[in-house]
Amino acid sequence: MVSNQCPVTESILFIDDTIASGGLTHPRSRRIAEEIHSLLNDVAWGRAGDDHLPAVQDLIQELLEKKEPQGRRLGQHLNQTLADNMEVFESHVKTHNCPTETCEWLTPAPCQMACPAGIDVPTYVTLIGQGRDAEAIDVIRRDNPFPWVCGLVCTRPCEFMCVRGRMDTPVSIKFLKAFAAERAMSEGTYRNPDKEPDKGKRVCVIGAGPGGLSAAYYLALKGYGVHVIEALPMAGGMIMVGIPRYRLPREVIDREVAMLEELGVTFAFNTRFGQDVTLDALKAEGYVAFFFAIGAHKAYKLGIPGEDDFPQTMEAIDLLRRVALGDRRKPGKQVVVVGGGNVAIDAARTCLRLGCPEVTIAYRRTRHEMPADEEEVEQAEEEGVRFSFLTIPAKIVGQDNCITGLACVRAELVQRDGSTRMSPVPILGSEYTMNADVVISAIGQKVDQLCMGEMKTMGWTRRGTIDVNSVTMQTSIDGVFAAGDAVTGPATVIEAIGGGKRAAEAIDRYLLGIPQPQMPPVPVRRRREECIEVPASTKTVIKRPVMDMLGMDRRRTTFQQVELGYTENMVREEARRCLRCDICRRCGRCIEVCRDKMGISALNMGYMDFDHPVPTDLRITEERCILCGACAANCPTGAMRIEDRGDERLLLLCGTILNRQKLVFCDSCGKAMGPRKYIDFINKRVKSVGQVSEQVMVCEDCARKKTARFNVDTLPI
Amino acid sequence: MGFRKGQKVEVYQRSKDESWESYMDRFVGLHGIITDPDTAINDPDALVEVSLDGKGTHRLPQDCLRAIDE
Repeated sequence: MVSNQCPVTESILFIDDTIASGGLTHPRSRRIAEEIHSLLNDVAWGRAGDDHLPAVQDLIQELLEKKEPQGRRLGQHLNQTLADNMEVFESHVKTHNCPTETCEWLTPAPCQMACPAGIDVPTYVTLIGQGRDAEAIDVIRRDNPFPWVCGLVCTRPCEFMCVRGRMDTPVSIKFLKAFAAERAMSEGTYRNPDKEPDKGKRVCVIGAGPGGLSAAYYLALKGYGVHVIEALPMAGGMIMVGIPRYRLPREVIDREVAMLEELGVTFAFNTRFGQDVTLDALKAEGYVAFFFAIGAHKAYKLGIPGEDDFPQTMEAIDLLRRVALGDRRKPGKQVVVVGGGNVAIDAARTCLRLGCPEVTIAYRRTRHEMPADEEEVEQAEEEGVRFSFLTIPAKIVGQDNCITGLACVRAELVQRDGSTRMSPVPILGSEYTMNADVVISAIGQKVDQLCMGEMKTMGWTRRGTIDVNSVTMQTSIDGVFAAGDAVTGPATVIEAIGGGKRAAEAIDRYLLGIPQPQMPPVPVRRRREECIEVPASTKTVIKRPVMDMLGMDRRRTTFQQVELGYTENMVREEARRCLRCDICRRCGRCIEVCRDKMGISALNMGYMDFDHPVPTDLRITEERCILCGACAANCPTGAMRIEDRGDERLLLLCGTILNRQKLVFCDSCGKAMGPRKYIDFINKRVKSVGQVSEQVMVCEDCARKKTARFNVDTLPI
Repeated sequence: MGFRKGQKVEVYQRSKDESWESYMDRFVGLHGIITDPDTAINDPDALVEVSLDGKGTHRLPQDCLRAIDE
């Protein structure tokens, strides 16, 4: 089962128990234990510095040298816990992160945990909401060197995990990032961080795709000399030749790659590993570590008769590459694309733009099972791409070296014995032929192992991908690391970026002789930004903006960017929808206290349950809340706050003003007594010391003084 | 395709797949959301990208996952 006990917290509790049991009889031992307790508390709350853990180790050593048995036992226990979990202790100090989620102050938000690159989403969304776009880009680039690219093409796992999605719709994280990157680039505030001093070592990166470029960026920042070898004539890899320009303009890639060149990263284009250059030759040039991010550029074949008989049969990935490199010839008039993924959609939409009048996507399951992005499918349909679902291609037919059609069989989805999967099964007698003069296969890609041919000792998985340790990205060859599609199979841009970043960290450790971690790195919280204040009614009613799109005629005829981006006002408003889950851990204590202890039930926040969210209405709090502050007093992270401002008392949840009411002041001393609702609530339950009428409000202290004076004055001496 | 994007799943058992590593043992029992089903080739063997609640995003074999009824 899952172990959720944090060793830091466990150590603190162990010291508590030892002290409470009275076992430490020697005053010096007790004082040492208290000092360790205090230092570990700093670690648990993210207040520790670099000296904390060495200081703890010194104190443990002192305990071990004492003759008191309980003190020695405590020292041995702490020593063992520290030795077994040093990485977890260090992550608390260095990255302000508790991987077990026990130390609530240090736990990243679900969106950040969902990101394969671990970007601190709540921080940058808040910064964007405040108009601090360049700072937001700085935060993003700590974990992802390509915020602009990802702002346009990321599959946005962060949005799937966005807690706001349990309330209505997820925050539009992706487009906020794109806006900030574009704005920062346009204003000239998109900048590289300072590099570490030169380490005098050179690393070679093979493949200038997102994984390779990401590793190159972080290695360059660490002070290594980085040289990138790329078979294509430009950088970008699959994002350049696999993603069409109407989704990702080339300038976006070029501008972000140029930032790497500023860091001193050098490129050798049109250079194919295995042909133009070998590992031995590179080693002879002085490179001490190698990072392979060669992607998965080889397409699967359809495996049906006729596939190799006609020149009009092509692979989607080849078509996309040719078009990206400048070939704009129309492949045919009646195009059938076989497949249901994003590549199939991209190929179909590209054909439309090249002038093909009729483009059909043939997919053997239903729309529901299509792995392509829902938005991409919708946009393809809007542009006129047709879909033929439950269609199994059987044979490519033609004559005189030209395709005339694609023979197909209709399918139905059935659940096979022993499987929960719905599989397409051909319906007997349902054979028919779709008219086609071009058939494009888009059923997936694999790694081209041939280009690694000379590396005989390279380990491969049964899936045909490079076998690596998924924590360190190390391959079976010493000093050779790999990540990206070559390791995962065709995957996402952000996953490749995350893999490249992880590999850079591992290469750094390898070259410095530091032991490698045993667990994948957990995302790092970069900051704890102040929350943006928004009234609950506004927070509830702001809607995710609708993206402006290019006119349909242009979409069908040009490769201009389809999504035109949000306006500045949309972006600033959208950022205010963020619930700041980096601060609120959704533990639900506030709800329990309000409902069970106070009997009020003013907090209606059904989104807090991951598995069974129920409706949320932040506005209800204002109707019922008495502003007693019990929720804030019990909040472990400071997400729920109550504060008096001028003549008002406010209740805020991560900046959302749940309630604000006028304060009533003592008529005698002028002290704030709380809002009228709160005073009424208390008065119903507690007999007041003094007389409080509707006209005169006197606080408890003043009432007591008044009564006491009366008693003293009238008591017989 | 066993899973679709956005589907809630549970890691209900260890996988026998070669890609399962020992640190993944602590994922058993966790819930998450499929963020990339990677089904372009309709391979029941393909690794799928799952965002696990509180544990980050990982590629896991499909035989350790089951869908949670909503």
